Amino acid sequence: MNISPDIVGNEFAEVSIRIDDEANSRRLRVEDLKTGRVRFLDALELETIVWLPEGNLRRLLDPSSDRWREDA
Amino acid sequence: MTEVTDAVGPAGRPSGPAARYDELIQPRRVHGSLYTSPEIFADELQQIWYRTWVYVGHVSEIAEPNDYVRKSIGPQDVIMTRTADGEVHLLLNRCAHRGNLVCEADAGNSSSFRCPYHGWTYRNNGDMLGYPFHQGYGGRNKLELGLGRVPRVGVYQGFVFGSFAEDGPTLEQHLGEAKGEIDRLVRLAPEGEIELSAGFLKHRARANWKLLAENETDGYHPQFVHASIFSVAESGIGALYGEKSTAVTRALGNGHSENDLRPEFRRLGVPLGWFGTTEEKVPNYVKAMRDRHGDSGAEEVLIEGAPHVMIFPNLFIAEIQLFAIQPLAADLTVQHVTAVQFKSAPEMNKRMLQQCVGSVGPAGMLLADDTEMYERNQAGVAELRPEWLDVRRGVDREEIDERGLTIGGATDETGMRGFWSHYKHLMTEGRVR
Ligand code: FES
Ligand SMILES: [Fe+2]
Repeated sequence: MNISPDIVGNEFAEVSIRIDDEANSRRLRVEDLKTGRVRFLDALELETIVWLPEGNLRRLLDPSSDRWREDA
Repeated sequence: MTEVTDAVGPAGRPSGPAARYDELIQPRRVHGSLYTSPEIFADELQQIWYRTWVYVGHVSEIAEPNDYVRKSIGPQDVIMTRTADGEVHLLLNRCAHRGNLVCEADAGNSSSFRCPYHGWTYRNNGDMLGYPFHQGYGGRNKLELGLGRVPRVGVYQGFVFGSFAEDGPTLEQHLGEAKGEIDRLVRLAPEGEIELSAGFLKHRARANWKLLAENETDGYHPQFVHASIFSVAESGIGALYGEKSTAVTRALGNGHSENDLRPEFRRLGVPLGWFGTTEEKVPNYVKAMRDRHGDSGAEEVLIEGAPHVMIFPNLFIAEIQLFAIQPLAADLTVQHVTAVQFKSAPEMNKRMLQQCVGSVGPAGMLLADDTEMYERNQAGVAELRPEWLDVRRGVDREEIDERGLTIGGATDETGMRGFWSHYKHLMTEGRVR
């Protein structure tokens, strides 16, 4: 199977990632290929993700925590 | 208090700072101590730089969400940020904990800033995000210490200004007639937007900031100071600043001034003549301008050219280059210089950048000449006699134009006198006499 090197995908989600040099310093561009939604992550945000404990990350993965919320 | 000799301060007159500036600044002359006294410089920081509107930067320098650049207001180190929602903020580069510098780089992209000393972290709007080992403060969210903010931020045509005064005139009131000059610059861009994307040069001058500001619209010196470059380049610019020139020097109010060269450019009637180029050399630019302004509109805009305006106290637009004057001490000033760039005008941008480098770059011809004069001037004003600098040139032939503004001849010191009357107003206003 041939997958473009900047795509991280599996049967559940697919995102493309690349380094973006358009801003005043480098950042990571992440695109949700299913919806086209784009997010930029700067160095401090990425470092924070590296240090996120599993529990906190799991909380963010709960589909009702941010993306599919009834109260939003 | 600065020592003022008996020539200006006889005993028995009212004393105090306001009275002092009344004596030091007169309609036809200004006292030399205004350029040399550290006490007056300290007073200027409080009465001018930390009070009135000061130019800081341009929105194009923080084009992307979370971009930031380091700028200044006088000696103050200011971070200009754009938050994710697009708002522009001016923050002071000082940690709320123990005062460390929060930002080191000249520019970057980050949603938050982290102080290197103890890791306190701030959002890029200045709000505190948090601090490490929070129990020492009784837990999380116990402190509400943000970065310092410049209380008022104003944007005009993408130019960002800051004021340390909580209230006072609005930016538009401060700019007044100078707004039209900024409009004239922006009007030359095919999409009506300029971009400061060429990077900055920093020129350090051992001179008082006011010598620079006064010189920016001094039409008396170019024929002498810049004679060699004008002759080598076979430039017609020198003649624009001669006795026969129909150009005028205009005091725009609030300390702003300009050399209005339009009468000369209109007389010559050559599109892009002010820029020393021809329509054939930049066909795409000219077409874009005709599309935007119509044929005759474009013709007028291209003939009249760009402004030559000094916006009090620190923004100088010299046609195709832009200077920000940064005072650091009574005898030390930095000029931050960049080429103006027009959005979507690559042909013009290349030429403007080349001309900027040639005239005010590190080996440029014009700024080197001027800087030599600033420094010689500073050395001279430190001499004790004759104490005064003369600014009367053209005072008796000034006129009021149709807009009610004072104009003088191309070589007259009308701009300087406008500068000083506003300076005096700021230095004395709100003080007990
Ligand atoms: S001085 Fe900034 S965290 Fe201590
Ligand atoms: Fe000059």
